Amino acid sequence: MDASRARLPDETGRVAGPDAVHIAYETFGTGDPTLVFLPSTPIIHSRQWKGQVPYLSRRYRVVTFDGRGNGRSDRPTDPEAYREACMVGDIERVMDATETSAAVLVGLCGDGVWRGIQLAAARPERVLGIVAFAPGVPKLSPPHPWRVQYSFEDELPTDEGWAKLNRHYFRRDYPGFAEFFFGEMTVEPHSTKQVEDAAGWTVDGSVDAMIADSEVDQTFDVPTIEATCRAVRCPMLLVHGSEDRCQPPSRARALAELTGAPLVMVEGAGHMIPGRHPVLANLLIRDFVRSLATSVA
Amino acid sequence: MRPRNQTRARYPDETGMVERDGVHVAWERYGDGSPTILLMPTWSIIHSRHWKGQIAYLARHHRVVTFDGRGNGRSDRPTTTSAYDGSEFAADAVAVLDASQTDRAIVAGLSMGAGYALQTAVRYPDRVSGLVFVGPSVGLEDPMPNRRTVAFDEVPPAWEDWYLYGAPAWRRDWARFAEFFFRQMFNEPHSTKQIEDAVDWALDTDPETIITAEDAAYLPSVESAAAAERGRPSEPAALGYARRVRCPSLVIHGDADAITHISGGRRLAEALGARLVVLAGSGHNPLGREPVKVNLLIRDFIRRVERAS
Repeated sequence: MDASRARLPDETGRVAGPDAVHIAYETFGTGDPTLVFLPSTPIIHSRQWKGQVPYLSRRYRVVTFDGRGNGRSDRPTDPEAYREACMVGDIERVMDATETSAAVLVGLCGDGVWRGIQLAAARPERVLGIVAFAPGVPKLSPPHPWRVQYSFEDELPTDEGWAKLNRHYFRRDYPGFAEFFFGEMTVEPHSTKQVEDAAGWTVDGSVDAMIADSEVDQTFDVPTIEATCRAVRCPMLLVHGSEDRCQPPSRARALAELTGAPLVMVEGAGHMIPGRHPVLANLLIRDFVRSLATSVA
Repeated sequence: MRPRNQTRARYPDETGMVERDGVHVAWERYGDGSPTILLMPTWSIIHSRHWKGQIAYLARHHRVVTFDGRGNGRSDRPTTTSAYDGSEFAADAVAVLDASQTDRAIVAGLSMGAGYALQTAVRYPDRVSGLVFVGPSVGLEDPMPNRRTVAFDEVPPAWEDWYLYGAPAWRRDWARFAEFFFRQMFNEPHSTKQIEDAVDWALDTDPETIITAEDAAYLPSVESAAAAERGRPSEPAALGYARRVRCPSLVIHGDADAITHISGGRRLAEALGARLVVLAGSGHNPLGREPVKVNLLIRDFIRRVERAS
């Protein structure tokens, strides 16, 4: 679906790394600094930031890109293409292609936030700061029980609830999974539009890419994860919903402890704070970026 | 179910109460700009908060006056049917203009509020400088197809759909009717908040009050005494008023209106010689569902009226 947009990009392009997977990016505005909005899993693409782009691009330069497996980016079906190193590399490649030497990174959930942290730890000169929504750095706390209640791999005797988070169900009814999942992600009343949007972005993508992304063998141990988080030197802001059914608030608290970053706990909010609470999210991002300017000056 | 107390984007700068024949009507004023726009009540199933999408924006540029129609909100709930005649709402409007020290105002009305606005403009032409009608229900519209009805007091064959429109269903489960009715009103996707708000406002009043008001002389013909003619308007009544309107006017109507067919808006605009703005895909209440569009239309209309005068 191609809904109309409040703000169209000033520049679009595609960039490929050594594995020839093309990543599609867009830039908006000419302000300073540049904010790079990071992708999540292939369940969604860069339109997830639709509530942020028009407002923030009036003040800053905004760069968004579609993660591998959705939107206008390539959709590799080889699990190797979804390694963390490839995904972190995509951030740098998009920054290079858009002539962005350093940027504020904004991410949501495990994929967005954890990759931003990895880049900030490895290449501190490229990251001015991180705004982390629903930070889901892996293994910092136990997952919500329902997320691991059912096997992803096995055929299940039921399609009820979280049993839909299952590769066989994905093949049977991917839109059904998307609608269920984003209903869970957006627990606030009056979210029918946000759920419809997000489920639409899921269907824009490829179920094969989603399954390939789930198959990659990521080998991070807790000491490595914690050391990476501690290595971040740039300012960070963490924002988490008290009713987040994807990433438990305990994960945000653990990350706050490791990094010393302030944590804004939004009472009653679910997982999709940028989409469901755009004004709050935008003002938090704006104030964070302003605080960087003063600390640099 | 109890109504929730909602916060407001903009609070009134002045509030007051007028009294006519022992009935108290509560009004509010927002902003000090010019001109004044008077936002009329509609069917008393909801109160003045139905303008919540307009007040905050319009009050930045203009002076906004609202009042709760008798039968809901902070206004009294008279127990005689004639107290709900359209002429009473028009007289309340003038009493509110007096109390808020307003010589003249642009007057806007939604649905039945269009009939109240029409009567105000015709009975008190010196007080009204322009008229805005949104989804006007003044009896000029084609009937809705497949709308199942029985007599108002008759027990319906089923407690569902439009059979819920009637005294027995209202007494049996007022909230259920309200929920049904506002789903018809807000038939656009993603309207859960607007429906929830309106149901809350319906729960601020009670079925007996709305039953009492049902047979009031909503829009009696211009010549007749109000008391002589009870019930719903006949076509000539609305046209009689429209012909007597001397100020500029604007009609806004959604082409997916499932309460009052858009033909009603078309005919009213024609009779007034007014501009008709058709909102594609909109239902009966674009005030709540398309506030930005409606606000800009009202702003542009106010500018036109200002330039002309």
